[in-house]
Amino acid sequence: MTSRFRHILFLSMLAILILSASLGYGADITVTLTLDRTEATTVDSVRMKVSVSGVRESTSSPGIQGLENFYVTQGGTSSRVEIINGQMKAGVDYTYFLQPRQTGTFQIGPAELMIKGKTFQSNTVTLTVIKSDQATGSDKGPLFLVSTLSSNDVYLEEQAIYSLKLYIQANVRDISLHPLEMEGITLTQLGDAQEYQSIYNNQSYKVIEVGFALTPTKPGGYVIGPAKMSMTVLESRRRSPGSLFDDPFFHLTTGRPVTIASEPLTLNVRPLPDKGRPTNYIGLVGRFEMTSHLEPSTIEAGESATLTVQIKGLGKINLIPDLNIPSLNDTKIYADQPVLNVTKDRGGIGGSKTMKWAIVPEKEGQTIIPSLTLSYFDTTTHQYRTLKTPSYSLNVLPGQGQRDTPAIGSAKDQGADNTVKKAIKELGRDILPVHTSIKALSQPLSPTRINPMIGLILFGPLVIYGGVFFIVLFRKRSLESQTEITAKRAARKFSKQCRQDDLCANDLLLAIRDYLNEKLGLSLGAVTAHEASVILESRGASHEAVQYMRDIIQRCEDAIYTGQGQSPIVQDLDMVKLIKRIDKEIR
Amino acid sequence: MAISFHDRSLISPLLILSKKHVTHQYFIQMVFIPFIVCSLLFIVTYAQGQDQTGEEIFFKANLAYNEGRYQDAIEGYHQLIRKGYRSGQVYFNLGNAYFREEELGKAILFYERAKILLPRDADLNFNLGYALDQTQDAIPKSSDFITQTFFWINNLNLGELFLGFALLNIVLWGILLIRLFIKPEWTYYGVMIFLIPWSIAGLSFGLKWYQVTMDDRAVVLQEQVNIMAGPHSDDTVLFQLHEGAVILHERVEDEWALIRLPDNKRGWVKNGAVEKIIGAAYS
Repeated sequence: MTSRFRHILFLSMLAILILSASLGYGADITVTLTLDRTEATTVDSVRMKVSVSGVRESTSSPGIQGLENFYVTQGGTSSRVEIINGQMKAGVDYTYFLQPRQTGTFQIGPAELMIKGKTFQSNTVTLTVIKSDQATGSDKGPLFLVSTLSSNDVYLEEQAIYSLKLYIQANVRDISLHPLEMEGITLTQLGDAQEYQSIYNNQSYKVIEVGFALTPTKPGGYVIGPAKMSMTVLESRRRSPGSLFDDPFFHLTTGRPVTIASEPLTLNVRPLPDKGRPTNYIGLVGRFEMTSHLEPSTIEAGESATLTVQIKGLGKINLIPDLNIPSLNDTKIYADQPVLNVTKDRGGIGGSKTMKWAIVPEKEGQTIIPSLTLSYFDTTTHQYRTLKTPSYSLNVLPGQGQRDTPAIGSAKDQGADNTVKKAIKELGRDILPVHTSIKALSQPLSPTRINPMIGLILFGPLVIYGGVFFIVLFRKRSLESQTEITAKRAARKFSKQCRQDDLCANDLLLAIRDYLNEKLGLSLGAVTAHEASVILESRGASHEAVQYMRDIIQRCEDAIYTGQGQSPIVQDLDMVKLIKRIDKEIR
Repeated sequence: MAISFHDRSLISPLLILSKKHVTHQYFIQMVFIPFIVCSLLFIVTYAQGQDQTGEEIFFKANLAYNEGRYQDAIEGYHQLIRKGYRSGQVYFNLGNAYFREEELGKAILFYERAKILLPRDADLNFNLGYALDQTQDAIPKSSDFITQTFFWINNLNLGELFLGFALLNIVLWGILLIRLFIKPEWTYYGVMIFLIPWSIAGLSFGLKWYQVTMDDRAVVLQEQVNIMAGPHSDDTVLFQLHEGAVILHERVEDEWALIRLPDNKRGWVKNGAVEKIIGAAYS
């Protein structure tokens, strides 16, 4: 196992360990079913996703109800790990593509999934399938833009949904939409562009759809568009046959800038009618609903109840005014900051506005909270409507003579054992007492200045390590240089021994052994011809020199084993030259 | 009863001295040893007195505080600080005493000093919050990148961060030292495991040290102060601050201090009207 591999393995294991610990074993499991659109034609494909949160891997595929009217194609499974507000969550997403078989409004779901022996159910979604109104017979080519308007006749401030569909058969990139600017019309994009497959004129296209909420601010007739989109169409460019680059590897593409436009559309904007206009009408147009509730309906004098009013729907939510409760006798009213939630989806711009009041009656009896009203122009009925909350009656029991600090939504809490718990009343405020323990006099460690002791603790380990490191390095270098000196001396010593007149085979063999030991840092007790040749070859000596050395040692061994080890050996061998050569060749 | 002049057992040693009948042995027994014993007793008593002084002052100051003699308590706690007892608890008690004396600025000043040493003390955080609630000026909180990113350093004091880093420092370099001689596998994993906390602890200690030593916060001590456009009494009054406002202190020129608010309002104020939290008195 190499050091790098070991390093990567260790870090990966550490990361997995941290990840596993963070994910938590008993995380909540939730199943969510979503569609990429709520309306489609019979020739469109709709992407459906079943997201399972709280599990790390898929165990079984989900069973989904309500798919009888669709052709279903599996789009794959993917795992995900996400960090939300510092908490890590894992999940699995199952993707499907739905092709409607017929028109109608269909409820899809719930998706059911068996995880760890328990069945989990998702929400349901509704998909409206309309008939495709595409023209047939005319071929529009591989690239064209279609614009549609949900209604050609609207009232002032009424939203119309303007859709742009780019049909693509070619390979394109860098798609950009030219901004549409018209006086008297406000365009707001609704969400991100959607991509799906569709059929047009019996041909399959990839469709990129962008939706806009179109809100007229002046009455009159308008021409919308044409909308224009620019993009780069990629075209294949092949080299001439037989060319060196006529190979798929060198198959190049070039980009051609293209701008396409949709057909212009007409829009008629009617002014809001005067008939039936309420006196308190402030220009709100759309479709809205109002809900309200008062909790609790019975309280003690001095306690607070919370009135909540929520208005939600389609239209300019931010135009909804802050409603006011008229002042009531012996009752304090505290308004909370309204919460505005604006949404932009395929249905248009909408959302909700939630208002809350803390109502604190000071005397026992019945407190009547009058109804609150909001007028708007309804785009469904084309009439003015006024939303009203019911008139609430708050039953006030005798209190304890002291008024609560109003706390919206927290007047009373329900305990775990269903006992009613009261909010804690703060009766007074003061500082907490002095510290009296003798430990208060112990000196805290506060190293704001680097004194010798702190310096020693901070830098001592580094200095000690550095010192020891250099000592070890120095010693290692010393040993190496010692070995190097010995190696350099080895040839000189050997030459000196060879120059003796009465050099016998025994002495020559010992001299060769000593030379090899000193030169190569070995500790051989004796050396044979075979050993010497193996050692020298492994250290890079030439074959010729090795062979020569082998012969000399062989001759010495022969002389020793024939009883002539102490006799002077014939000096026809140029040992000094051989050793000098070996000295140069070996490492 | 007749007293014989020669009865030495009844004659005072001093008389003997005066009579010059004393010997060297007598001198050692009767003068030198008692002197040494007395000296030792004095030293021991003095030393004990020195040890007890801090405690005594502390108890007396606490007693004065509990009996409502807040000026005596303030003097006692200041005496302790002058003697070197610069603990967070003493600063806290001093802050309490100033609060009772209705000197809100000084109370906040000493609470802030205590907070540097006792960042997690619940009593201190409550009292400081309560004292800050009593101030008149709504000063925006400065958004500090360091404290937001390294949020844990707000809950640890400099000493704790130093000890943590020192421990990791010794362990890490110790393992590296072992690896100079032998390289068992555990030392490799040891270095890998300790390297990350060592780096974090070192960085945290460095940042905390910078935060503490470069702390330029100051507290307004006077009931109401005019913040001037320049270091002169006849300059334009830019705005007013009230007792207890925590501001940033830039520099001092003559008797004037240049101060700044987190929203970058700047101006000059008489130096005595504000006091730095990390000032000469603290360090």
